[in-house]
Amino acid sequence: MKKLFLTVAAVFLLASAAFAEKKEIRILSVNDIHAKIENMPQLAAIVDSLRAIYPDMLVMSAGDNRTGEPLNDLYEVPTYPMVALMNQIGFDCSTLGNHEFDGGQTGLATVTHLSNFPYICCNIHPDPKWGINTIPYKVFVIDDVRIAVIGAVQVGKAGHPDSHPDNVTDILFTPVEETLQEYKWLADENDVVILLTHIGYEQDVELSQYVPWADIIIGGHSHTQVNGGEVHNGVMITQVVNRLDNVTFITLTVQDGKVVDRKAENIKVEGYPKKNTAVAELLRFFSDNPAFKRVLATLTAPMTSYEELGCMMTDAWRVETGADLAFTNTGGVRYDYLPAGPFTVSDVLRLDPFGNDSVQMELTGQEFKDMLIATTYADSEYGFPKVSGVNCEVIFDKKNPEKIKDLKITLPDGGKFDLKKTYKVTTNSYTAAIANSPRKDQGRALNRTTASLIQEYLEHQGTIDYTGVCRVKQSVSAK
Amino acid sequence: MKVQVNRTVVDIFDGARAQHAVLRYLVHRRLSQALLKQGRIQDAYGHEIGLDAPLHEGQIIKFKV
Repeated sequence: MKKLFLTVAAVFLLASAAFAEKKEIRILSVNDIHAKIENMPQLAAIVDSLRAIYPDMLVMSAGDNRTGEPLNDLYEVPTYPMVALMNQIGFDCSTLGNHEFDGGQTGLATVTHLSNFPYICCNIHPDPKWGINTIPYKVFVIDDVRIAVIGAVQVGKAGHPDSHPDNVTDILFTPVEETLQEYKWLADENDVVILLTHIGYEQDVELSQYVPWADIIIGGHSHTQVNGGEVHNGVMITQVVNRLDNVTFITLTVQDGKVVDRKAENIKVEGYPKKNTAVAELLRFFSDNPAFKRVLATLTAPMTSYEELGCMMTDAWRVETGADLAFTNTGGVRYDYLPAGPFTVSDVLRLDPFGNDSVQMELTGQEFKDMLIATTYADSEYGFPKVSGVNCEVIFDKKNPEKIKDLKITLPDGGKFDLKKTYKVTTNSYTAAIANSPRKDQGRALNRTTASLIQEYLEHQGTIDYTGVCRVKQSVSAK
Repeated sequence: MKVQVNRTVVDIFDGARAQHAVLRYLVHRRLSQALLKQGRIQDAYGHEIGLDAPLHEGQIIKFKV
């Protein structure tokens, strides 16, 4: 009798194991929002409609929530609009992207403290003096399913995420893959392991071969539009293009403590017909941003030409980056008149609206000269660049008016410009891209927008007067 | 850093984004810069990437109009 009872019990246990309940975990993920705050009401509406069906759905960001929209980045508390909108939507977590560091250490600390959700990142080790609040991983428990989320941020050639070096001093970053392996034990104690990374799609594919213990990599950084999810080396990888065009909706089926099925699909946010009204109201509030009216400097006389404004812009780039010389394509100077009086943040953003990064390079005098000529030809609609640190006399060919026949460069005091000497030169990322002239050093992005350099310059100057300043004289050859 | 756009290797500043490499490619090929806004950029896997996508040394991208 006892034997029969044990046999029945064993069969029952086996059967219950075989038919253990399948549970489905839902995740909505975004990456590289880059402060596209105008799409947040639509994102909120999508989250609302999904949470109506799946109340336990997790909402995650794979980093770079900020940088790309002045309304957000120049707010009185920089990037507070994004934090408030993400709080309102009810994000469950985010990892750090390289651009999370663009506000400096104290800026990041403020963001982490104002957010109602944790920043998960295992390979950042900030000095406690900064007060940056991150955790390496977090375990969510939904319907008795344990979900471990481990975050990681990219580490560039310089040993830190791609942001200005000043923004990451006294923060240690450890290698992504090596650090993630330290958390492999989470796979033994949890049913699902999610890597929330900001390292780029190709790097995620490479990483997948070393983390068979992970179920899914929710990635960011490279702005790659993956069609739903792809499985590489047994690990699913997702990512969407930047600026909240799409999101990824993920369904993980869990049975007996492991993921037995994974599905991922994209949902279009751009153009989504519904908006969450509370989030839309918040957005309207943030859009009327008093920070744009802030006075940076006082103009003692009106600026009345592209030349004067271009000289001021390039002076700002040269001075604020410690360069010897600076120049911009003339098409980068967007207006030619500003009345005397206050020079505001809004005036700067109208003058330099493209969000260009600043780029610095080491050029010989000859390479600099060649680059000015190459910029003129590539930016032919607008003509010769605006410069700082030198004066130029350009003679265009009478027979071919777009061709430069001669270019003389002199120092501001009239002295000789040495074509063999090496100069530190700053320009904007657009000009650095279009100027296709020979040079040994292509330069490096400084991770500071050119507009931010102008703002800093104006604040440092207090008052400015560029009346009659002219550094480029242009003429046409006699023959 | 060097990145490859279609079959052309372009030398571009560190920290450049996809649009910068494509702009250099267009100038190098004497094509209109206006094509940048009309085309699509893909990574080596054929995935679409954004204009602001960061690039790394040796990356291969494709630009199609």
